[in-house]
Formats: sequence, structure tokens, C-alpha cells
Amino acid sequence: MKYYWTRFLPSYAQTIIYMLQESDYKPKQYVAWLNRSNDFRSITKRRQLDFTHKAKLLLTVVWLMLVTIYLAGVALFVESIIMGNVMVAGLAVLLFAGSPLLTAYIVIVPLYIGYVIIQAPRQRQMVASARQILAEHPALKIAIAGSYGKTTAKEILATILGEDKQIAFTPGNMNTSIGISSFAQTLKGDEEILVFELGEEQVGDVRELCNLIQPDVGIITGINEAHLSSFGTLERTVATIFELEDYLGTKPVYKNKESPLVVSKLKADDKLTFDRTGTDGWRVSNTKTSIHGMTFDITKNGKTMSAHTGLLGKHNIGVIVASVAIADSVGLTTEQIAVAINKTVPFEHRMQPRRLHGAWVIDDTYNGNSEGVQAGLLLLKDLEAKRRIYVTPGLVEQGDKTRQVHEKIGRQIAVVADVVVLMQNSVTDYITNGLREAGFGGRLLIIDDPLEFYSNLGHFVAAGDVVLMQNDWTDNYA
Amino acid sequence: MKKTIAVFFGGRSTEHDISIITALSSVIKPLELTKKYIVVPVYITKDGQWFSDEKLKDIRLFRGQAIDDFCAKAKPVAVVFDGGMILRKSGLRNKDIRVDIAFPAMHGPYGEDGSLMGLLRMAGIPFVGSDMPASVIAMDKVLAKQVAQANDIPTSKFVFFSKAEFDGSRDVIIKKVISNLTFPQFVKPAHLGSSIGITKVNNTDELSNAIEVATYYDDKIIVEEAVENLVEVTVPIMGNDSLRPSLVERPLAHGDDFFDFDTKYMNGGKKSGGSKQTGAQGYSELPAKLPDSLYQASLDIAQKVYRVVGCEGISRVDLLIDTKSETVYFNEINPLPGSLYAHNWRASGVSSIELVSRLVELAEERFARNKKIETTFSSNFLGQF
Repeated sequence: MKYYWTRFLPSYAQTIIYMLQESDYKPKQYVAWLNRSNDFRSITKRRQLDFTHKAKLLLTVVWLMLVTIYLAGVALFVESIIMGNVMVAGLAVLLFAGSPLLTAYIVIVPLYIGYVIIQAPRQRQMVASARQILAEHPALKIAIAGSYGKTTAKEILATILGEDKQIAFTPGNMNTSIGISSFAQTLKGDEEILVFELGEEQVGDVRELCNLIQPDVGIITGINEAHLSSFGTLERTVATIFELEDYLGTKPVYKNKESPLVVSKLKADDKLTFDRTGTDGWRVSNTKTSIHGMTFDITKNGKTMSAHTGLLGKHNIGVIVASVAIADSVGLTTEQIAVAINKTVPFEHRMQPRRLHGAWVIDDTYNGNSEGVQAGLLLLKDLEAKRRIYVTPGLVEQGDKTRQVHEKIGRQIAVVADVVVLMQNSVTDYITNGLREAGFGGRLLIIDDPLEFYSNLGHFVAAGDVVLMQNDWTDNYA
Repeated sequence: MKKTIAVFFGGRSTEHDISIITALSSVIKPLELTKKYIVVPVYITKDGQWFSDEKLKDIRLFRGQAIDDFCAKAKPVAVVFDGGMILRKSGLRNKDIRVDIAFPAMHGPYGEDGSLMGLLRMAGIPFVGSDMPASVIAMDKVLAKQVAQANDIPTSKFVFFSKAEFDGSRDVIIKKVISNLTFPQFVKPAHLGSSIGITKVNNTDELSNAIEVATYYDDKIIVEEAVENLVEVTVPIMGNDSLRPSLVERPLAHGDDFFDFDTKYMNGGKKSGGSKQTGAQGYSELPAKLPDSLYQASLDIAQKVYRVVGCEGISRVDLLIDTKSETVYFNEINPLPGSLYAHNWRASGVSSIELVSRLVELAEERFARNKKIETTFSSNFLGQF
């Protein structure tokens, strides 16, 4: 209640639209954020409201609602004075005081009405048209499912297959039926390979996307606790992601053996599993890591190639070798494949190194899961450095395992990093507990203002440092 | 409770503007990022007024006329010695800021030359960098060379004289210079840094003109004989009793050129076409590519100079190397190098934050050490009167 007054600031209307936008206009996420927010001055930290048509329209609606409620409050108050009715005066005050709350919740109503009347029918039509386009498209369709690593796998696959094939792939994180349907509308028809990323938030999502895409090959990148709150149990998450294999039946599905939850669902005789040592007869050896990437040899039935990738993180080798197997099956030569692997470079904010004042800063802020944390720490350990600096706010969406996950992360960091930088939030204490338990003897910095830290990173580093920045908390998780 | 650090910058010096950059980019920001201190900026105008305000931490205020407008409207602070140093902002209700530690970020006269250090000594508070006697010696190129020579540290040949001597008997001075030194020579104001007022001369006419230019900036002039087969290097050092040198750095200049003010600061530290290490004096080779013996000799001589001059906290020692005879000459010493030479420290593994943190620690260590020294003596001397 201390900060209730901040709901009366002129910036309030814009703040709640920002919250809606950052929650992807999903009422559940928005309301959860709204309910845990107190001080509305400090909501907008990392980004600003993007003034789209939708945002502008909603902002107008919110202002209209606020003004109407204020005016109604004033009118009632005047009325109460005229009538000399204390009850009405009380009601007027209540209406005035409650106006920001009322507005914040009522704004969901026009959003829902707009969805039912305009958006939903339009989307149904769009999906039906896309299904038709994709059914008639002659390309080999590869679908990638998993709780994490989908975008990376898609990029690697596209780079390798693109060496010899006309290829198109879903851009960015366009992985819902609407996103994939818009992507389908952009296809020319002469593509030889189409790569799709499948998003999942609830049971049936992957099946629905498979019905839309009708894939020929699948890749399952890994499974973890992501979206656990919407799935309810890990079993449901696993089952949802394996809907891809259910759909494909006897068609090939490459599965990541480095993910324990994927392994839990594997059949004993499954040959199409991949990890950093190889897949389906392809063997990886002589792996070497430096800040400039990894080198390794890949061999199968007398075919050998020496490859170099600009990608960091040994977990990427599994996906590369799965892509090699697919590339080989569609007719790329070993020379073409080796050249293509050489073209794989770090993606933005995913183990992406850059030089800063003689130090190396590895930006892995798009990473958001404990597997990624382990992969990052392994990389940090592998790299030569005078000082290893590990920066993290922690992981979001860990449900009731939040404490356990972060204490474990703390223990893991303790044995690798010389300096640990934590962004102050609700999980900081858990990480520091873990650090303490593992007897961390290095330097610990706890940062209140992440933006200030990131923008002044140059003051924190010196030559010979390797800084690994993992994870990022957007405002809706703060 | 957080300690309050006052960062002093600006000042009545030709290096006023450089001091602003040093303070804002290399001192205030990293100190704030430590989250250990309350950092108070103290800006001294070119005419000697003192101001303190949070707005003075923003470089934008110093662009164009904004700073003049600010100084015209703001009230200067008064300094009160009240068992320490208090910055007093007068108003309806005085606002006092008690300074726990001072961080001078000033270059040149009335700041780096010992003046400010004298004031801080009187206030009895810890301050970063060399104390008053070392600052006085270091900021006088003649005095520093004389101290070095007295300690068997080689220096290039030099002649010095006052502005009054030159104005009174110009011919005698010119004669004295050319009979003692061969061309080319460097004419320098004795107390300025950042290459201001320095000219390289090759004949008597140029010498005479250059001295005239130098007397415009200073009342003490030094003329040095140029070192042959020259490689110029510089060594930042920090420490009180035990010293930590950073990397030997070689500022690069072309042909007969030397590293003038514009090259150092106005062109972002780059001569045209330069693409090496960047920093305040960015166009440089870092670390300097020298034979191991000369690299080590540079480190040794730099540290010896630091000690004999009596520097503490931080300094940067400039050396001249005759690569043929393999002789390392002491050239000059800067008790507060521009931007603290943070780029060099970073290259040696010390971040800006660690640098300022360590400098504050060194200041406190010295203060604690000096506190143990008895400065009063009880006697019954007055009783005799």
C-alpha cells in the first residue's frame, strides 16, 4: 500500500499498456505481474513501450476509462454535497481511489472482445490457408521441438543445409500457429527445405503445429522445466514435445541424448540420438575449444571431415552432428558440409564473444535454463583466462524448484568463477547460499541496477578477463 | 556507513579541460560503480571558484556554454576546516558535506603541483596520489631532473632559466643554451604537462621563438638536448612502499613530430592512419616492443625515479631510450597521469574500478601511517616568557 499513490502518476496508463505488451497481451501473465507490482515508477526499466497501433488504441481506451471514472467520482462527490449524503460521498472517494485498479483490470475486457470478434476468426482463416500451402509444398520439412535450443538448432541446420539447398526457415521466435502461418504466406514454392521451430506452452501444441506443417524430419533439442507453470508436470512437458515423434511415426526424429528428460523417453534401440560424441554412426573426435570457436573431426564409414565452427559451447556439437547427418541424407558432400560448418558463427546473445579493453565478454543473455548455465560454466572453465567472471541474474520460471535450482547454480559457479556478479532479485540469496556452501573464495558483487552495470562493463574488466554474461530478466520477471 | 570522497577537478591550469575528462571518465564513474562511496564532485573553475553539485558529474554540462550558465547561477562552495574538511553550500539553511577522502583529479599548476595537496594536508584528511613535497618536485621538470641526477639516474642534458632572466638578457641565455646543448633541442615550460607550450627546435631562430612561446605559459623554462636514436616510453606505477609498475608503453609519433597536445587529446589520441592501442594517449604500442633488457631497465629506472622523488599512490614516469647506446634516460614524471592512464592499467589486468579502489586504499594507508608520526612536542619553552 505504501506505493499505491504511484498509480495516480500520469505515466500509469502507459505503464500498464507496457505491462500488457511485455506479457504478449496474455491476460494471465499480465494479471500476475500486476498483482505483484507495488511501485509503478520502477516497472519500466529495460525497454520502453513500443507504440504499435494496438498499444496506441489500448492507451486511448485506458485514458478514456480513467477520465470517465475520475469524472464519475467528481460528479458523485458534487452530487453527495448537494444531497448531503455521506454514503454517496464515500462512494465517490472509493471510486476515485479505486480508479487505477479498476482500469488496470477492466482493460482486459476490450482486449478479449477484440480477440473474439476480430483476431480469432482472422487467425483461423490464416491457419487454414497456411495448411493448404504447406501440404502442397514439395520441400522436405524439418520441425524442431524442445524446451530450449530450438533457435540455435534451426540456425545451425539452416546454415549447413543452405550450403547446397534452397532453404527457408521460420524467422526469430516465430513458432506459434499464427507465426508459422504468416511464414507460410511468404514462401515462393521453389524451396527445397523448410525448417520450422515449434513453440509449446500446453499439451497438444506440438501436435497442432505438426498438423499444420506436416513435417518429414524432426529434431528434439532438449526438455526442461520451461513453461512448467502452464504444463503442470514435467511428464506433460515431455509428452507434448514427443508429440513430434508421435506424429512422425517411422520417419526420422533426432533426439538430444544430453538432455536427461529426453533420455527418459528414449527406446533402448533408438539410433537417432545425438550428443557431442556423434549420432547415427557419425563419430566426433579431437574437439578443441578456444574463444574463437571449436575444432573437431567427424567420421562415418570412411567419410572424414575436419571442421571448425565459430560457435562456442560443446553442447552445440551434438546439434551440428545431427545437422551433418541430415545434410548427408539429402545429398551434401563432405566438402560442402565442412565448408558450411565453418560458416556457423555465434548468434546474437547466445555465447557470442566480443572484445572489450583486452578482455573477452561472452554474451549468453538469451540463455534461460539450467542446462545453459552448465554449458556456460563448462565453457568458462575450458577457456584460458587470467580471471573468470560470471554474471547472472539467475533463471526465471523455475516454479517450486526455484530455490533448489539456484542453490545448485551457486555451487556450480563457485568452482569455476573467480568473480561472481549477481543482479539483485528474488533468487540472489539462493545463489549466494550455494556459493557459500561450496566455499566460494572469490569476489562477489551484487548489483542493484543491471543497466548501469551492463553499460559500464568497461570499467569492471581488464585484459585477460573472460566475462560470461548469462540469462536476462525482463521487467515482467523482476 | 559509506565514506564520502570528494573528487577535485578543473582548476586554474591550462590542463583544466583534460582534468574534467580524467575526473568524469576515469575517477568519478568507477568510484561510483564500487558502490562503496558517496562521490562528491568538486569543480574548480578557470578563475578559481569551487562548485559542488551532482550535475557536475555529467560531461554534457561541460560542452559549450552550459557550464558558464551553471556557474553563473550556482553558488560556490566554501571550505571549512572543522576537524577535517567540510564543503559548505550556503543558502537559507547551509548544507555541509564532510569530506572523508579527497581524490585530486587535477593536472598542472594549482592542483597537481602540490598546491591542493598542501590544502588537504592542512585539512588533515587522506588524499589520493603523491603528497605535497613529491608533487612539487615532480611538477618542476628542472627540479625532478636535478633530484634524479643526484641519485645517479641518467637524464638528457639540459639548461634552465627564468622568464625574467630571458627577458633581461635574451642573447646571454641563447648563448648559454647553444654553448651547452647541441640541436635538435626541446623547449618546455618547466611546470606544464600534456605537451602544452613544448617546441622542438633545430636552430637558433627557432630556439628564440620557442622560448618566447614557453615564457607565455611559465616563468621557468627548460631546454633539453634531444636524445639520439630515440625511443620514448612511459611507465605508470602505483604504490606507496611496495610498487606495482604497469606496462611499459611507447607513445608513437612520426618523423620529426612529437606527441603534441592535439595528438594526445584532440584527435582521440591518433595520428592519421594510426590503428594501435587507443586510450587517452591512444596511439601507442602497448606493451612497448623493446629488447627484454631495455624493457626491464625501463621498469627499474622508472621505479627508482618514483622512489627518489618520493611519489606515492600513482605516477607515470616518462623515459627516453637511446637504442644504440642502450641508455635509458629519465625525462619527466607526472604525479597524476591523464585519465590515470587507465587504458594501460587495464592492459596489465587492472580494471578502472580496481585502480581507483586501490588508489583510495593507498591514500588511507598513508594517512594511517602518517598519523602515527608525532607532530607536536611538549616543552616548557613558552614558560620562559
